[in-house]
Amino acid sequence: MEKENRFWQIVFLSLPMAVFVILIIWPLTSSFYYSFTNWNGFNSDYQYVGFDNFIKILTDKLFYQAAINTSIWMVAAIFLPSLFGLVLALLIDSSVPGGSIFKSIFYLPICLSAVVVGQTWVWIYQPDWGLMNTVIGFIAQEKFNYAWLAKPDTALGSVILAWSWQQTGLSMVIYLAGLTSISEDLIEVCEIEGASTWQRIRLVIFPLLTPATVVVIALSVINSLKGFDILYIMTGGGPFNSSDTLAMHMYNESFKKYLMGYGSAISVVLFLIALTIIRIYFKQLKKVDEIYG
Amino acid sequence: MAELVLNNIKKSFGDIEVIKGVDLKVSHGEFMVFVGPSGCGKSTMLRMISGLESVTEGSIHIDGADVTHEAPSKRQLAMVFQSYALFPHMTVEQNIGFGLKLAKLPKKEIEEKVAEVARVLKITDLLPRTPRQLSGGQRQRVAIGRSIIRHPKIFLFDEPLSNLDAALRVQMRLEILRLHTRLKTTMVYVTHDQVEAMTLADRIVVFNHGKIEQSGPPIELYNHPANIFVAGFIGAPAMNLIATTLSTDKQGTYIDLDGLRLPFNLKANAVDKMSVTFGIRSEHLEVCTNDSPDFQAQVEIIEDLGSESLLYLQTNFSTEPLTVRVSPENDYRTGQKIGIQVDKSKMHIFDTETGRNMS
Repeated sequence: MEKENRFWQIVFLSLPMAVFVILIIWPLTSSFYYSFTNWNGFNSDYQYVGFDNFIKILTDKLFYQAAINTSIWMVAAIFLPSLFGLVLALLIDSSVPGGSIFKSIFYLPICLSAVVVGQTWVWIYQPDWGLMNTVIGFIAQEKFNYAWLAKPDTALGSVILAWSWQQTGLSMVIYLAGLTSISEDLIEVCEIEGASTWQRIRLVIFPLLTPATVVVIALSVINSLKGFDILYIMTGGGPFNSSDTLAMHMYNESFKKYLMGYGSAISVVLFLIALTIIRIYFKQLKKVDEIYG
Repeated sequence: MAELVLNNIKKSFGDIEVIKGVDLKVSHGEFMVFVGPSGCGKSTMLRMISGLESVTEGSIHIDGADVTHEAPSKRQLAMVFQSYALFPHMTVEQNIGFGLKLAKLPKKEIEEKVAEVARVLKITDLLPRTPRQLSGGQRQRVAIGRSIIRHPKIFLFDEPLSNLDAALRVQMRLEILRLHTRLKTTMVYVTHDQVEAMTLADRIVVFNHGKIEQSGPPIELYNHPANIFVAGFIGAPAMNLIATTLSTDKQGTYIDLDGLRLPFNLKANAVDKMSVTFGIRSEHLEVCTNDSPDFQAQVEIIEDLGSESLLYLQTNFSTEPLTVRVSPENDYRTGQKIGIQVDKSKMHIFDTETGRNMS
């Protein structure tokens, strides 16, 4: 019986394992392998170059620019949707009229693909007839013309706003679930003890939303690390690499300059960064678990 | 200390009226217990006093001031919840000092007051811990600590011991009594456990279907229940209740239980052949040792409780078994026929239709 079970366990596990190996493990190990070569992505006559690609990273100014942009991107892409999501969740939870309709509307963007979101926002930012400039022009009562995505100062920020717009719905839904799991008694204690709305949010609700915040941040970290498509659609890393992130830089080096070996080395570094962040995250998760169970 | 007055309180949720006009006065320093079955409205009543639930009709006065529409925090009450309602992310110290922190008292003063409360409740060692690291009893002590630190006018307890095991419940019951003796604060306590109600209360209010069935000192409710509901609810084991008919003749009013004639002097007007319920507590039935018992019964079940035993008896006149308390040192057997004597001075007659006690 035991033996038969084992057989079926292996059979059922083999298919997902095969998918996992082909789509994750194999490309991952390949990247590690190619990061030590000068492969251009086509020819088979590449050489082993040792740590050359990694040494090149150290002197690559564009890499540093991309690393700084990635940091800005990640911090903003984690912080803004979480904050907006929390505020929306608190508003909807306070039984605002039509709350459930707003909930659906705010959640909608997360159902769209990043390409669709990116293209929509490209139109919103369009200098001549885009919604953004039209609204600003309407408020300022004079024609406003600004190329949000074409100026190095605003390109990254503009994409971050578009990204936040899409991601807010997800964190809102998670926070809403977190809010419903807060015991009504605890809120009633606040009422009896005389907590103001702000005290209630700061001292009770926000700390009790820690498990939800952990999930929101985890998803934001993972999503922002993967955040490539929306940047690709909206700015392609430009102008002048001002919105170039590590993922974008890796893509440009690998597929535009045909330096697959060097691109792989960048991807390995990105992988190690992600691994470190995830390790820190899991350590924090353990602490949260001890308090909230 | 404070006086609490409820004037014709009504509460409806939509079309459903859950509290149907309650008038009550709780005196300074009184320990009042609301008791009743689930869904009788006792918790809703408590929540209306606290201000967590609005009042549909009527008014609530604390020390003469109308607080019906005041926010909970303005009523100077403290509430202890069944779930303890402790903040999981705060230490015991922070939980107890929560109200003082909200009131923006100096840190030093909060620390001193928390230490004092912890000393009274014997939880000083627990101050640095979080609620998850505490047992149920310890958690409830912390919850009580949080409520006493602000010196409220009235304490409200919403089934605070229901989540504790039996032994701990008895222990915490004593502690709450001690606390009341020490603080002499007005307390309103909700429970569905009539033993808790009997042991804690200066006065019990029995709720049923959103109305007060009877209020009074525990022993008065036990000895003189106003109706069948109170008779059946107060006391463990419950009063023996037997459906029968009342008869009147020249000699007076009586009931006939399978040939046993039990005469009554009724306060209320009795009508011949009216349906009544005869009530007698288990300790007022006695196993008869002489040859002239009031009636014969057969032992169906024996429950040994240690300090006493309960006999469940089958009789010809009752479909439900009758309960009789006997000494634990007995040699009764299941199926045994025994004679029973009724204490005629402790009998009750209830009008079956209205439930009212006629005796």
